[in-house]
Amino acid sequence: MEPDVSIETSSMIRVAVLPIGHVPPVLLRDYHSMLLRHQSIPLSAVSSFYTEHQKSPFAHQPWDSGSLRFKFVLGGAPPSPWEDFQSNRKTLAVIGICHCPSSPDLGSVMDQFDSACRAYPAALVERCFAFCPADSQLEDGSKKGWNLMLFPPADRATQEFHLQTMMQDIAASLLMEFEKWVLKAEPAGTIVKTPLDSQATLNSEEVIKAKKRRLGRAQKTMGDYCLLAGSPVDANLHYSTALELARLTGDFFWYAGALEGSVCALLIDRMGQKDTAVEEEVRYRYNSVILHYRKSFIQENAQRVSPLTFELEATLKLARFLCRRELAKEVVELLTNAADGAKSLIDASDRLVLYVEIARLYGTLGYQRKAAFFSRQVAQLYLQQDNRLAAISAMQVLAMTTKAYRVQSKASTLEDSLPKKETGSSVVEGGKMLHQSVVSLFESQWSTLQMVVLREILLSAVRAGDPLAAWGAAARLLRSYYPLITPAGQNGLASALSNSADRLPSGTRCADPALPFIRLYSFPLHPSQMDIVKRNPAREDWWAGAANTGPFIYTPFSKGEPSNNSKQELIWIVGEPVQILVELANPCGFDLRVDSIYLSVPSGNFDAFPVTVNLPPNSSKVVTLSGIPTSVGPVTIPGCTVHCFGVITEHLFKDVDNLLLGATQGLVLSDPFRCCGSARLKNISVPSISVVPPLPLLVSRVVGGDGAIILHEGEIRDIWISLANAGTVPVEQVHVSLSGKHQDSVLFIASETLKSALPLRPGAEVTIPVTLKAWRIVLADADTAAGRSAFKHSKDGNSPTLLIHYAGTLPNTADPSTEKSVVPPGRRLVVPLQICVLQGLSFVKARLLSMEIPAQVGENLPKPVHIDNSLTEGAVGTPNKMDRLVKIDPFRGSWGLRFLELELSNPTDVVFEISVSVQLENTDHEHSLSVDRDATEYGYPKTRIDRDCSARVLIPLEHFKLPVLDDSFFVKDNQADGSGRSYSFSERNTKAELNASIKNLISRIKVRWQSGRNSSGELNIKDAVQAALQTSVMDVLLPDPLTFCFRLSRNGPGAENIDSHEESNDQVDSSASKGSVMAHEMTPMEVMVRNNTKELIKMSLNVVCRDVAGEDCVECANATVLCSGVLGGITMEVPPLEEIKHSFSLYFLVPGEYTLIAAAMIEDANDILRARARTKSSDEPIFCRGPPYHVRVVGTA
Amino acid sequence: MATTACFIIVSRNDIPIYEAEVGSAAKREDAAQLHQFILHAALDIVQDLAWTTSAMYLKAVDRFNDLVVSAYVTAETHTRLMLLHDSRNDDGIKSFFQEVHELYIKTLLNPTYLPGSRITSSHFDTKVRALARKYL
Repeated sequence: MEPDVSIETSSMIRVAVLPIGHVPPVLLRDYHSMLLRHQSIPLSAVSSFYTEHQKSPFAHQPWDSGSLRFKFVLGGAPPSPWEDFQSNRKTLAVIGICHCPSSPDLGSVMDQFDSACRAYPAALVERCFAFCPADSQLEDGSKKGWNLMLFPPADRATQEFHLQTMMQDIAASLLMEFEKWVLKAEPAGTIVKTPLDSQATLNSEEVIKAKKRRLGRAQKTMGDYCLLAGSPVDANLHYSTALELARLTGDFFWYAGALEGSVCALLIDRMGQKDTAVEEEVRYRYNSVILHYRKSFIQENAQRVSPLTFELEATLKLARFLCRRELAKEVVELLTNAADGAKSLIDASDRLVLYVEIARLYGTLGYQRKAAFFSRQVAQLYLQQDNRLAAISAMQVLAMTTKAYRVQSKASTLEDSLPKKETGSSVVEGGKMLHQSVVSLFESQWSTLQMVVLREILLSAVRAGDPLAAWGAAARLLRSYYPLITPAGQNGLASALSNSADRLPSGTRCADPALPFIRLYSFPLHPSQMDIVKRNPAREDWWAGAANTGPFIYTPFSKGEPSNNSKQELIWIVGEPVQILVELANPCGFDLRVDSIYLSVPSGNFDAFPVTVNLPPNSSKVVTLSGIPTSVGPVTIPGCTVHCFGVITEHLFKDVDNLLLGATQGLVLSDPFRCCGSARLKNISVPSISVVPPLPLLVSRVVGGDGAIILHEGEIRDIWISLANAGTVPVEQVHVSLSGKHQDSVLFIASETLKSALPLRPGAEVTIPVTLKAWRIVLADADTAAGRSAFKHSKDGNSPTLLIHYAGTLPNTADPSTEKSVVPPGRRLVVPLQICVLQGLSFVKARLLSMEIPAQVGENLPKPVHIDNSLTEGAVGTPNKMDRLVKIDPFRGSWGLRFLELELSNPTDVVFEISVSVQLENTDHEHSLSVDRDATEYGYPKTRIDRDCSARVLIPLEHFKLPVLDDSFFVKDNQADGSGRSYSFSERNTKAELNASIKNLISRIKVRWQSGRNSSGELNIKDAVQAALQTSVMDVLLPDPLTFCFRLSRNGPGAENIDSHEESNDQVDSSASKGSVMAHEMTPMEVMVRNNTKELIKMSLNVVCRDVAGEDCVECANATVLCSGVLGGITMEVPPLEEIKHSFSLYFLVPGEYTLIAAAMIEDANDILRARARTKSSDEPIFCRGPPYHVRVVGTA
Repeated sequence: MATTACFIIVSRNDIPIYEAEVGSAAKREDAAQLHQFILHAALDIVQDLAWTTSAMYLKAVDRFNDLVVSAYVTAETHTRLMLLHDSRNDDGIKSFFQEVHELYIKTLLNPTYLPGSRITSSHFDTKVRALARKYL
């Protein structure tokens, strides 16, 4: 059988094209393609070369419309045993092609050509075309005889024209030869034989039969030559005769041959016009042809030779003629019949040709799967021949089937499926993947077939020695069908991959990815340290409001944005490394070593860093891939470039995404990530990335370690944050702000230090102090803290963060062109202050204690409080003042001490030391009298609270007494009240006044604690203190209008003229005399009354002396104390802010303890006094009572 | 019972959603592959043939060597039931197709079955094999 047959084949003159000498393959192909342009030479062009030697047998030759057809067979073909039967099978001409530069000796060329022509005895014309001869060869060649044609070097057009002329010459020669042949044949009756005719010696009957048949066969052969000569009418005449004769002699084989020729003549005559009548005629005649070929089957020589090939060829010819979509059914029927004939064919190569032709015809019909089926049959036939060339052919044929079986290499799908892919991806991105379109992604998943085809491609590629094709096939097989392949098979494929790679040069790329599967795991946005903020150059605070365009919180235009949000935008910066996480999966049963994997960036402005990964069997791994953007512009990352199994491949994320999508729908065999135990991941799309020019980059570091700062409640501590510019651009602008919870815990940020360091050059560093104060743990937290899980509080959400917005230089705004251009964005550095607040001291309660400790009556007057206030700061060092606060000096008397008692408990496991400081406020200047701070100096211990203990801290409140009771205190509040009524105190402004004064008081009390060496802080007790003081603030704050003191005046009432100030300094000297009074002795005493107001007070003073039983022992019936002087109803007037002495003497009859109490009834009290005394009615007497004084009387009764 | 029979259901997307070798001949892997290749190729013919007739049973549509492909195209989803066989028991094949069609419709009615995806029900498989024994 011959390939590529059609009905018109009968009219083609077969020409062998032989390379003579060495012709480079490229040039040979080029020369051949030049020849192919002259497959059809019109008779009109031939006529100039044609000379009629005798009368032409082709009487009806269409000189104006006909043509001669050539069929060039490159490399020639062996002579066919059937060439007598069909003259078009004869090689009627030989064209040698010689490339002169590689064959310098033209003589030897001619010799080679002559010997080559000897293989073609039927050749009527022989020509050798020599291209590109040298000048010497041109001279030489002209002598060498007529059948060497030299084509002088010239441009292509000239050469082609030259070649055309030559071909016309050949055509004319052939035509004349055909004429000769026909003329010669007609009278003689040539003997034509076919292998079908019996080879045995003919018996007489058969000889007669053969003689009869000879005439018909000769007519048929003449008809063939007429056809070759391009004269269909003449051919038809001969064929008609031949048909008649063959029918008569029962020569079915030749009958069919003649019929075939007549159909060809018909078609040539009609010049390729196909109408239904012609088609019907052809179909009818060819069915007859097929029938007669079948009839000519002779059983006896079926083993040796069979007309089957002709039957099949005729079938194929008819099929090719009819091969149109509308007639598909008919064609399929013909081709199915032809395919059935295959098993009867003896020669394997015939079967090969048959299948090839069937496949081609199915392909033409558009039946790709049928074509693929027969192509695969062809490939199998090739594979049965155990040689390399056959294997290469098999591989090429199989490569053609891959499209139908949908296992094509990516390289081949790249062009044709591009638009299809585009639509697919857009649907995926839209998020509205319809079910049908999901399915369509996995169309024709005939995994069994696909695996077989790929395996065959692998096998043929290995045999053909094409390692790249083998690698690609193995890669596709392994990647797509690993779930269907046993572990042993997987190992085999892995070794096939590495074996193929061994034969490939290193760095070979293959379009088909093998393992591993790679999907995008996450696209880390900028870490908060590198956040990029759009800069709004119009505003001072450029970081704010860049996104906000209008005055409205809600704009309808922003409504549409959420859909775009899924496609987030990412900004990368030139020169700053970025990272992308991808997940690799190896679902196969062998260890996979990925020699290198890096991001593939077609946009070319990105330097990716390769990494090496080892994947154990059935495992997946998340890998960080990093790189550095190198230039400004958009970046696209469609996938990764992987160097695995010795070959570089491109792995696209989209492919794996589609695969996973199919897996979720149950359309794909298996999800490679899931079978590796990896969790399902939502689809991550690659954001649109753009690269911007370098920006400054601040890096922060907390000096002394980046760990959490552990603080107790209320603790105050300084930390230092060091900021360094790690970028390549100086920082020009910077702004520090706070965000997050507990912003008030940051007391101070030295942003000025930072600002003064600007511009911060690359590499420069600046350290700024930040003062922190730990917040209070809220109640809920405190509950959990009870379990000592204090570290739970260090949740990030609780800590404040420093936001540092910074930016590089603004472009020169003076230039209007740059103003339009994009302002380089700024950045934001987020410094989370990792504060972990531990529970510290807890405050239990506060209450006000009021104590009245009676003083001893001594020689000294106790110092009134207001005198303390007049002390200068130097007095801080006076120790006895300290005494007075902590201990009560019994000789100095007491005037109603009030203490604030704070009860604190320590639930923590560290020890706390408490110190109380009170800030005193004076009218002229303010100085802090931190008692316990001084006490440290003087060895007084702090209040120490051990773990799990409670303690009480007393805060003396006497210091808050004002020196003078005047209206200023009240007036201040009245004016604030805004009413014109001065000095009248209603309930409501009393309330307001109280609150204000309490606040004032509380703010001056500070309870500090210290724990360990370096943690200290302050307790927040304001609320509690306020509650405790609410009721009795006036008593705490305001002095009594009158103060009373007693003292002994040993030298008589008149002798006492020493100033109390001096006396206080002499206290130590008089200490011996203080203490006791002798019984049975007249004891002179003084009571001193001080007016604390700014107005004269009239009063009547009473002095009472009581014994331990509390009974008045002066006035009563059995008095134990005698007195001289007035004790009761002493009317006196005390000028403002002065004191008056009143002397008297007592005579104690009985030793023991006595108490002296002075009291006064104020007459004509003004409003201030009334307010102080909290009287309601103006006529109520105001009674003032001094503190009790003790008198110890010693002696015998 | 036919010696060779390969039954396959092809969804409208040309994906085989069910495959079964129901012949009595000993199972050989390469033969099974060839069967699938033939059936796959026959899809081209079924595709054209289905529009030329209103019948769902298309009879023998294709053949390769001794193996004949019969096809049955369901109306509702253009699902193709295809049988590769070497016997010429037309009536049996027709009945077989009709019964399998009914089974297939029952599968389609299963709300958890995604039309166009693989039929993995073992019940379906058992039933199909029983029908093959009965009719082929």
